[in-house]
Amino acid sequence: MSQEPGVTEGRGSALGRMVAGAAGALLFPLIAILLSFVIGAVIVLATGNNPFAAYAALLEGAVGDPFALGRTLLYTTPLIFTGLAVAVAFRAGLFNIGGEGQLFIGAVTAAWLGVSLGFLGPIAIPLVLAACAITGFLWGSIPGVLKAYFGAHEVITTIMLNYVGIYLAYYLAQHPLGQKGPIPGTETIDFAARIPTISAALGRANYGFFIAIVAAVVVYLLLWRTRRGFELRAVGLSPGAANYAGMRLGLNTILALAIGGSLAGLGGGVEVLGVYGNMDVPFVTNLGFNGIGVALLGRNHPVGVILGALLFGALTSGAQEMQFATDVPLQLANVLLAVILLLVTATKLVELIVGKRARDFAAGTHLENERGL
Amino acid sequence: MAEESSGAVGAADAPVVLEMRGVTKRFGPVTANDDVSLTLHRGEVLGILGENGAGKSTLMKILYGLYTPNEGEIFVDGERVEIRDPKDAVSRGIGMVHQHFTLIPPLTVAENIVLGAEPRKGLSLNLEEAVRATEELSQRYGLQVDPRARVADLSVGVRQRVEILKALYRNVRILVLDEPTAVLTPQETEDLFAVLKELVANGLSIILITHKLGELLGVGDEITIIRDGRVVDTVKAAETNERELARLMVGREVLLRVEKEEAQTSEEVRLSAENLSVRSGTGEEAVAGVSLEVRGGEILGVAGVDGNGQTELAEALAGTRPIEDGAVYLDGEDVTRLGADALQGRGLAYVPEDRAAKGLVQDFALYENNALKTYDEPPFSRFGWIFPKIMRRRAAESLRAYDVRPADPDARAGSLSGGNQQKAVLARELSGDPGVVIAAQPTRGVDVGAIEFIHRQLLKQRSEGKAILLISLELEEIRSLSDRILVIYAGRMVGEVGPDARDEELGLLMAGHDIEEKSA
Amino acid sequence: MEDFLGAIGPILQSTVRNATPLVFAALGGLFSERSGVVNIGLEGLMLIAAFAGVAGAHFSGSALVGLGTALAAGLLFALIHALMCVTFEADQIISGTAINLLALGGTGFLMVVIFGAGGTSPRVNGFASVAIPLLSDIPIIGRALFDQSLLVYLMYVLVPVVFFVVFRTPFGLRLRATGEVPEAVDTAGVNVARMRYYGVALSGLLAACGGAYLSMGLLSAFTENMTNGRGFIALAALIFGRWNPIGAAGAALLFGFALAVTFRVNEQAIPIEFIEMLPYLLTIIVLAGFGGRAIAPAAIGKPYRKE
Repeated sequence: MSQEPGVTEGRGSALGRMVAGAAGALLFPLIAILLSFVIGAVIVLATGNNPFAAYAALLEGAVGDPFALGRTLLYTTPLIFTGLAVAVAFRAGLFNIGGEGQLFIGAVTAAWLGVSLGFLGPIAIPLVLAACAITGFLWGSIPGVLKAYFGAHEVITTIMLNYVGIYLAYYLAQHPLGQKGPIPGTETIDFAARIPTISAALGRANYGFFIAIVAAVVVYLLLWRTRRGFELRAVGLSPGAANYAGMRLGLNTILALAIGGSLAGLGGGVEVLGVYGNMDVPFVTNLGFNGIGVALLGRNHPVGVILGALLFGALTSGAQEMQFATDVPLQLANVLLAVILLLVTATKLVELIVGKRARDFAAGTHLENERGL
Repeated sequence: MAEESSGAVGAADAPVVLEMRGVTKRFGPVTANDDVSLTLHRGEVLGILGENGAGKSTLMKILYGLYTPNEGEIFVDGERVEIRDPKDAVSRGIGMVHQHFTLIPPLTVAENIVLGAEPRKGLSLNLEEAVRATEELSQRYGLQVDPRARVADLSVGVRQRVEILKALYRNVRILVLDEPTAVLTPQETEDLFAVLKELVANGLSIILITHKLGELLGVGDEITIIRDGRVVDTVKAAETNERELARLMVGREVLLRVEKEEAQTSEEVRLSAENLSVRSGTGEEAVAGVSLEVRGGEILGVAGVDGNGQTELAEALAGTRPIEDGAVYLDGEDVTRLGADALQGRGLAYVPEDRAAKGLVQDFALYENNALKTYDEPPFSRFGWIFPKIMRRRAAESLRAYDVRPADPDARAGSLSGGNQQKAVLARELSGDPGVVIAAQPTRGVDVGAIEFIHRQLLKQRSEGKAILLISLELEEIRSLSDRILVIYAGRMVGEVGPDARDEELGLLMAGHDIEEKSA
Repeated sequence: MEDFLGAIGPILQSTVRNATPLVFAALGGLFSERSGVVNIGLEGLMLIAAFAGVAGAHFSGSALVGLGTALAAGLLFALIHALMCVTFEADQIISGTAINLLALGGTGFLMVVIFGAGGTSPRVNGFASVAIPLLSDIPIIGRALFDQSLLVYLMYVLVPVVFFVVFRTPFGLRLRATGEVPEAVDTAGVNVARMRYYGVALSGLLAACGGAYLSMGLLSAFTENMTNGRGFIALAALIFGRWNPIGAAGAALLFGFALAVTFRVNEQAIPIEFIEMLPYLLTIIVLAGFGGRAIAPAAIGKPYRKE
C-alpha cells in the first residue's frame, strides 16, 4: 500500500527516487497486462481467429478515431469513480466490493432529483451530484458500521448490499419514480440539466470525464494532505500502530467505506446525468467489479486509477469493434480484465520472471492486514 | 543456579553421537556461522552459549534441516549425513524443541503429538492409540500431560512438555532445545532440568541453546561458546564460572552493570495507579488490583515472567487498553478514561513492546511515523490539512539526535534494523519532552550497540527528572537501570525489592511465592 | 390447518432444492478455508461448472457426462486459484475475485462461441427427480426429502462423509493443522503446499457439484450469471456454521429457504424487488448478528513462506 510519493528505501535524489518509485509501481501492472494479452491471444487462436486481427480491431475501436476515443472516455469515466471507491477503501485496509450497489443508489438518486430539479437547468447539476455523493456515502457507511460494530467482514456484506442496492434502485426506478410506458425506468431528465457532451466528433463523451479527474485529484489531496487521509492510511497499513497512536479504528472503517460509497454514487450520478439521461431497468452492470481491477492495476493511487480506468475503458470500447470486425465475442475484454487482475496480485510469478528485487515493488498488490473470512 | 553437574558418569568419554565439522553458512554478505565445529557425546548435555545474533539459532536450523550449510559436514553416530529437511533430521534421530512452539491450539495434546505420523485404524485416525502412546511416553520420561486436553487451555510450561513429547514420539536420540527457559519461571525451569536429567539417564543426548549463563552451569556438562558466528571455546561446566563465560560470550570484560548516577528522586509522584484491573484480549483478568507510584527522577522496574500481566498493565497505563476498575493519575489528574492520544498530549511517552506492529507503521516513511501521534496538531496540521514538508524537517532533526540509521526521513520504517526502528520510536516519544515515560521491552531483539544507546537515553531522561516505568523480561536490564523493582505475578504485584536483591529472591517472587513464606 | 400442512411439503422440497447448491459450495469452501486458503471464488467455480455441465450434457446427451465436464471445469479453475495463492502467493481475496470475474466473462464468452448467442443456453437433459421407494411415501416430508434428484442424495451423503474426513482421518487432521499453524505441519514433515492444493482442489470439485445441480437439476439450462450471489451466500453459511460441515449445511438450509421463498411468493403483497432482496438481507443479518466474530482457522489468508 505504500507507493507514497517519494517513499522508498534509502538515499538518492528526490527526483531519482520518484522515477524509481514510478518505475517500480508500473512493473507489476505492465507485466500482468503483457502476460494477459498473450493468454488472450491464445484464447483467440483457440476460437479459430487471428489474434493480430483481433488486437488490431481492438486498438482501432479504442483510439482509432475520435468517435472511438469518445467511446473510450465514456467507458472510462464511471470506472474512475468505482476505481477510486475501491482504492480509498483499500488504503484503509478494507475491501469495497460494493461499488456496483453504491453506483446504482447514486444513479437512482440522480434519476429522481434530475427530474424534480430539472427546471433549474445547469444549476441542478452540482446539486444533483452532491445528493448522489450523499446517498452513496450513506449507503457505503452501512457495511462500515456492520464491520465496526458487529465485526461482519466487509467482503460479504458489500457484495450482499450490491444485490440489495440494485433491487432497491430498480424498485424505486419503477414504482414511485417510474414513467408510464413500455420501457421500465424513470423519466428522462431535461437536457438543460444534463452534463453536456464535449464535441460531436467524440460522440457521447461528456464532461463527466473531467468531473472524474477532479474527483481523483480530491482523493489525492484527501489521502496525502489531510488529517483524515493520514489516519486512513495509517489504519490501513497498521491497525495496531494506529490504535496505539490513539486513532479510532471503527470510525475510520466507517468513513473509508462511506467515502468509497460516495465516490461510486457520484459515478452513478454522472452516468445518469451525462450519458443516459435516466435510469432504465436494467441499467449498466459490472462497473463495480471492474473497479476492483482498475484500483489494483493502479496500485490504489489516484493517478494509477485514472490510467487503469483508461486501459479498461479502452479495452471495453475496443472490444465492440473487435466483435464487429472479427468473430471474437466482446466478452473477451472481460476475460482479459480478469486475467490481468489475477496476474497483478501474483507477485511471486513476477519475481520469477524479473528476479527477487521485484519484491520491494509489490506494495499495493496485497491487502496487507486482512484477517481471513 | 548452584546445582551439581548432571552428566552421566564419564559422559565425555562416551561415544560421539553428533559432530558438526567446519560448518559455514552465509546469507549474502553476512556470515552467520563461520567454520563452526562441535561435538556431542552420548548422555551429555551440551550447552551452546551466545548472545542474540551470535549464530546459535542458525547453527541449529542447519542441524534440523531448515537451512543448508555452504560448507561443512555433519556426522551422526560417526556416519556422514545430509540433512535436507526436518523430516530427514527426525529420521536420523534429531529432534528440536523450538523457542516459539509449533503447537496447534485448537487440537488436543495427543493430536498435536501424532501429527504427521498418525496411528491409523483403516481409513480413520486411531485416537485411542494416540492417547495411549502419549500416556506411555509421559510416564516414562516424567512429563505430566493430559493427552485429551486442548493445547489452547494449557500453560506455557505444560506446552513445552508437549513439544518435548512430540520429539520423543518420533524416537529421537538427540534433542535440541532452543532457549527453552525464556518463557519459564524459575520453578518451571527447575522442573525442566529435572526432565532433562531423566532423558539423559534414558540414553538421550541433549543440546541446550541459551544466552543465560547461570543455567548452563547448573545443568550442562560441556559448554560451547559462540560469538559473531565463530566458536570461541568449549569448556567443561565444572571448570568455569559465570564471569568467565560472560567474558567469552561478549569478548570483553563485561561490566554486568551500566554506570548509573545516584538517584535524585523528587517527592513528586508523576504517575500512579490505584487498584487497577484490566482484562486481556481474550477476556480474562490480566491485571488484578495493581497499585504503583512512579516519581520524577526515578526508574521503576517491573520484573516478571512473560504473560503475567505486564503487557496489559503497560497498555492500560498508556491508554491503549480499557481499564475495568481502579484509577490512573498522571501528575495528579485522573486520566483513567483517557485514550492514548489524550495522554500523549499530557506528556506521557509510550515505547510499546511490539514496535513492529504497534510502535511503527512499517510501510510509512520515518517522517510519517515521527508524526504518528502529533499529525493532527500544529505545526504539522491546521484546519484539517497536514504539511509533510514540516514533518520531514522535524523528523530529520530528531532522527539524527537519536542516532537512527539511516537518518533519512523518507526511508520506509520497515527497512530499518530492529535497533534503529526502536531508536526511531524513542526519537518520536522522547523528543516531545514528556514528563512520564513507559518503556516496555525497550531492547528486545535489538543489537548490543543499540541496547547501550537506549539504556543511556533512559538514564538521561531519569537525570532530567522524568518518571520512568520500565517493564522488561531481562532481569539484568531491570537491575541495571531501576531504582526500585516491583515483581508482577498473575496480574498482581507480589513484592518490591531493590536492584541489589538476590536472584533467589527475585526468582521466588516471579514464581509467585511470598518472600516471607520462605522459611528455613 | 390442512392447507398449512399441505403447504409445508412443497416449501420444504423447494428449500432442499435451493439449499443443495449452497451446501455443496459451503462444503467446498470448508476444505479450502480449513487448509488456510480463503475462497471467495466459490461463486465463479459454481458458475463455470454450471456452464461446463450444460455444455457437456448438450453435446453428449448425457447428464452424467455433463457432471463430469462440470467437475473438470471446477477443478481447473480451483487449481488456478491454488496456483495463484499457494505457489505465487497472490492475495487470496483478490485472486478469488478474479476467478469470479474470469468465470463471468468466460461463460459469457463461451456462450457466444459455443452456443452462438448470450442469454440462455438450449435446454439439456438434467438430473431429474428420482423418488426413493418407501421413504418418499412418508407423509409431508417424504416427497420433500426423498423425491429429489441424484445430486441431492449425493449431498445428503456428503455432509456426514465430509465430517468424517475432516475430523476423523489423518488427512483431516493435517488439513486442519495446515490452516491453523502451518509451521507445525511443516516441521512434522507434511508438505503444506500440497495440503493446500488438496483443500482448494476439493473446493473446486464440491462447488462444481453445486453448479452442476444448479444448471442441470434445479433448472435445466444455463443462464448468464445464474449463480447470482449463491457462492457468497454459501460462504456466509460456512462462516455462520463455524467451518463445520453440519453447521454449514444447517445454515445453507436456512438460506435455501430464503431463496425458495423468492421463487414462490406472489407479488401481490410485497413488490418483487423486496422479495428478491430477501436472501441477501438475511445473509447480512445473520453475518452481523452471529457470524461476525467467528474464529476462522488461524492461518487463513496468509501465504506460507518457509524461513
